[in-house]
Amino acid sequence: MENILEAKGLSKSFESGKNKSVEILKNISLDIKKGEFVSVMGPSGSGKSTLLYSISGMDGITSGSILFGGKEIEKLSEGELSSLRLHKMGFIFQQSHLLKDLNIFDNIVLSAYLAKENSREMVNNRARDLMKKTGIEQLADHDITQASGGQLQRVGICRALINNPDIVFGDEPTGALNSKATREIMEILKNINEAGTTILLVTHDAKVAARTERILFMLDGSIAGEFNLGKYDGKESLQVREERLASWLVKMGF
Amino acid sequence: MLLKIVKKGFLRKKIITTALFIFIMLSTLLVASGTSVIIQLCQSLNYLFVKADLPHYIQMHGEALSQTEREAIEKFAADNQLVMDQQTSELLNIYSSNLYLKDMDTAEVNSVMDVSFVKQNERFDYLLNLDNKIVEVAQGNIAVPVYYMQLKDMKLGDSIKVSDGSFEMTFTISDFVRDAQMNSSMISSKRFVMNEADYQLLRNNIDRVGAFEYEIEFKLNNLELNGIHFSDINKLSEFSNEYQAADLPNKGTEITYHVLLLMNAISDGLVAVVIIIISILLIFISLFCLRFTILATLEEEYREIGVMKAIGIGRKDLRKIYLSKYKVMAAAGAVLGYVVSFLVQKVFTKNILLYMGTAPVSAIQIVIPLLAVFIIFLVIIQFCKHVLKKFDKISAVEAIRSGTMGEKESNRLQLKISKSKVMNINILLGIKDVLGRLKLFRLLFFIFFLSAFIIIVPVNFLNTLQSPEFISYMGVGRSDLRFDLQQSEDIDQRFQEVVSYIQDDEDITTSAQFVTCRYQVLGEGDIWENINVEIGDFSVFPLKYLEGAAPANENEIALSTLNASGLKKGVGDTLIIQIGEQQKELTVCGIYQDITNGGKTAKAMFSYNEDSVLWYVISADVTASTSIQEKVKEYSQSFDKVKVTNIDDYIKQTLSATINQIKLLVMLAFLIAVFIAVLITSLFLKMLTAKDSSQIAIMKSLGFPISGIRVQYVTKTLLVLAVGIILGTIAANTLGEGLVSTFMSAVGASKIEFIINPWMSYLLCPCVLILTVVITTFLSVLSIGKFSITKTIVE
Repeated sequence: MENILEAKGLSKSFESGKNKSVEILKNISLDIKKGEFVSVMGPSGSGKSTLLYSISGMDGITSGSILFGGKEIEKLSEGELSSLRLHKMGFIFQQSHLLKDLNIFDNIVLSAYLAKENSREMVNNRARDLMKKTGIEQLADHDITQASGGQLQRVGICRALINNPDIVFGDEPTGALNSKATREIMEILKNINEAGTTILLVTHDAKVAARTERILFMLDGSIAGEFNLGKYDGKESLQVREERLASWLVKMGF
Repeated sequence: MLLKIVKKGFLRKKIITTALFIFIMLSTLLVASGTSVIIQLCQSLNYLFVKADLPHYIQMHGEALSQTEREAIEKFAADNQLVMDQQTSELLNIYSSNLYLKDMDTAEVNSVMDVSFVKQNERFDYLLNLDNKIVEVAQGNIAVPVYYMQLKDMKLGDSIKVSDGSFEMTFTISDFVRDAQMNSSMISSKRFVMNEADYQLLRNNIDRVGAFEYEIEFKLNNLELNGIHFSDINKLSEFSNEYQAADLPNKGTEITYHVLLLMNAISDGLVAVVIIIISILLIFISLFCLRFTILATLEEEYREIGVMKAIGIGRKDLRKIYLSKYKVMAAAGAVLGYVVSFLVQKVFTKNILLYMGTAPVSAIQIVIPLLAVFIIFLVIIQFCKHVLKKFDKISAVEAIRSGTMGEKESNRLQLKISKSKVMNINILLGIKDVLGRLKLFRLLFFIFFLSAFIIIVPVNFLNTLQSPEFISYMGVGRSDLRFDLQQSEDIDQRFQEVVSYIQDDEDITTSAQFVTCRYQVLGEGDIWENINVEIGDFSVFPLKYLEGAAPANENEIALSTLNASGLKKGVGDTLIIQIGEQQKELTVCGIYQDITNGGKTAKAMFSYNEDSVLWYVISADVTASTSIQEKVKEYSQSFDKVKVTNIDDYIKQTLSATINQIKLLVMLAFLIAVFIAVLITSLFLKMLTAKDSSQIAIMKSLGFPISGIRVQYVTKTLLVLAVGIILGTIAANTLGEGLVSTFMSAVGASKIEFIINPWMSYLLCPCVLILTVVITTFLSVLSIGKFSITKTIVE
């Protein structure tokens, strides 16, 4: 299948003090195929989130190249990167990171209004549809302070999907949720993926990773290993998938 | 320890601390300068009046003074217990067509000033030089009024000439004259001082180049009238009534001490008052900024404050820590402002020093501004204490737990993006933010409001003074030309000659004649008081009336505001006037403002007797194709005893000192307002973007381009700016108008209606302000591009 995202020789380092630099990402190369559901795991400080933000163009890189839809991200201007994020990418963060002065419905439709790909009426209908699918249709007029963490994360998902992106990036999207909410969110993400959207998420939770198709394991800024679990389509029980993943992770030293 | 905390506080907030410091410094600087100007003005004026030994009462007289009349005056002075000293000063009035100043080829036909040549007075009313010493002039030399030195940039050694073609006298300028009586450009007479021998020569030839005029001057007993005391004005009017009742020479205006005082003080006094108003506005701005800064600091350091409270530091100690920082800042700002004021006030007192000279330095000059500065310091500290009372409300537990003040906007206006019709999402977000955080944007609004106010009030005032319409509600009907015929023996004949010449003149479209006569009216307490009544048809060149209308028949009279208030008469009241042997009842039909003749005038239509005539005035309009300057020249040459004035020149010349001072203020106010707007906008946006950094990062992550986010901030400032400018303009035209009227009421203009130049006030000034603010906003939000999304979001 065609690659949607390719990274080659990706490195990133930070200046720390005089003439000292710390290398966070070391010569990473990876491919993400269209329609894949990939997760990145690894211990704290291994560079998972940095990798996610680097390959999504949100953060700069020190060397290497990233191809997204055939375009070299590191060569794009700030404006082109913004446009890319607006039209082709969706982001879900650990905290919902909603705009606090907008109500829930406005938070969801905002970037679609900005993109102007569809009429506002069509955008509103899509937003209502997404809210229904994620079970928050009753919250449309609510203030963001009137919703629970799980509900807000669903709002974040709706927002990420409103422009029908080619890929959704998730940085610990369930990190702040309880197990019930985590399950619900992962179910939604699975459905989105089944509908054709590529998903790349960072997690340290094996139960979350077990619902994804391919798992990359990071250690000290490099990809130490890769495990292909296959699509979670219900043929194999979740428990079995979790056990398979756990034994691999143990082998990887996690 | 305390010093360490203060120092740390400064270093952490360099920009805002510097800005606050500048504001405190500027407000103290201006307060110190304003009070200093007032003190300097009072002292210099007092000093000048004392040195010049000014008379308390002056009666001008335009006819030749016979020996019998001189003796009658002397007898009156000797018999009157109020009189301490008397002198009659002779003036040689030179017709403007015979006078050449600096330019030896062009006569002063366009001058609105009555130029008199005099010799130094012997007993009092001395004409002083620039050292405030009695000026002495050698033969062939002349001493020129400071007014001309400034107006024509005259220098020592320049020449002036009196010539009618056949008779000619040339003088070299050897000194400049401070004339306590006629210094002000608002007084349309000026005295040149010459040597006794030259004086006699000119006197012998005066019929060829000019005419005699006399100043009958009195110094009164038991009057404490020195400097700025007004308490004996009643005695002055009592004396005036006695003089007028005594059938003594009185063909001319009468001038009293307090009018001279007012005329001398008005231009610089006005500047001082405006400086003080600006400084008060600046103090308000400082307080607003202080409140904003303190609250922002408290919000930022809320958790630390909670920790300090938790470890047992008391409320008072905490307040002390924060207050000490502001105390140091306010003290430093105040001291620097005070010191700098010594340098700056020279700009404002330049005019005072030129026209009045330097009074010996006294402690008051240093102490009063210092006191004013100290009061500002106290107000600032008291205000800080008040704002820091917020400490009382901070709960240690809540502060450590949440780390925020936990205060929500109470007046959040919910504007829904999805329900709005505005298509541009960035503009919409900008508007929504302002409506949602009104409290936060209040500071910016206040600044823009004040900036607009500070810019527009002086601009409107300047435009009003410069406008040709201005005089129509200042006591003079609007016309192209004005002919003044002062008292002389053949005044009536000359008047008829001019009138018939005008009637035959095809270039003149409209004309009207006015005669000013002196009568007596029954004032308060049944005392007869003198009144100058201008008689004529006032419908041709109408005035603006504050109340009522112009006299329409013989039984009506209109009064100037000063006369109306002095006589305690309103529209519809009856006024009894003595005309010759007859008493006549007149109804007050209107009240108007007047700045001419000391503001005390009246207008009526009844027939007059020639004995009472003081002077004649003819107003005329010319056809559009006629050059007013050429007409002035033509009439000046045809009638050398008639003063012909181009009204535009008249305004320019009489109000030139005030207009120049106001121009200085317009510049100053403009610079201050723009400086404030730029500084506060940039500081505010820096704080706002720092506060909004997470929201900005979220928007960037959603794909909002940086340019779009900048548009949001420009929208916010522009929205607040628009409201600020609109309300500021309205306030400038209402409150500002009232404010200016209050100060102008001192000279007889109790109600100034701004004559607004819409291009200037509604377009140019707001546009300049908008442009500056937009540029500042763009520059201030440039840093948005540098905000790291990941840093903010991951944190």
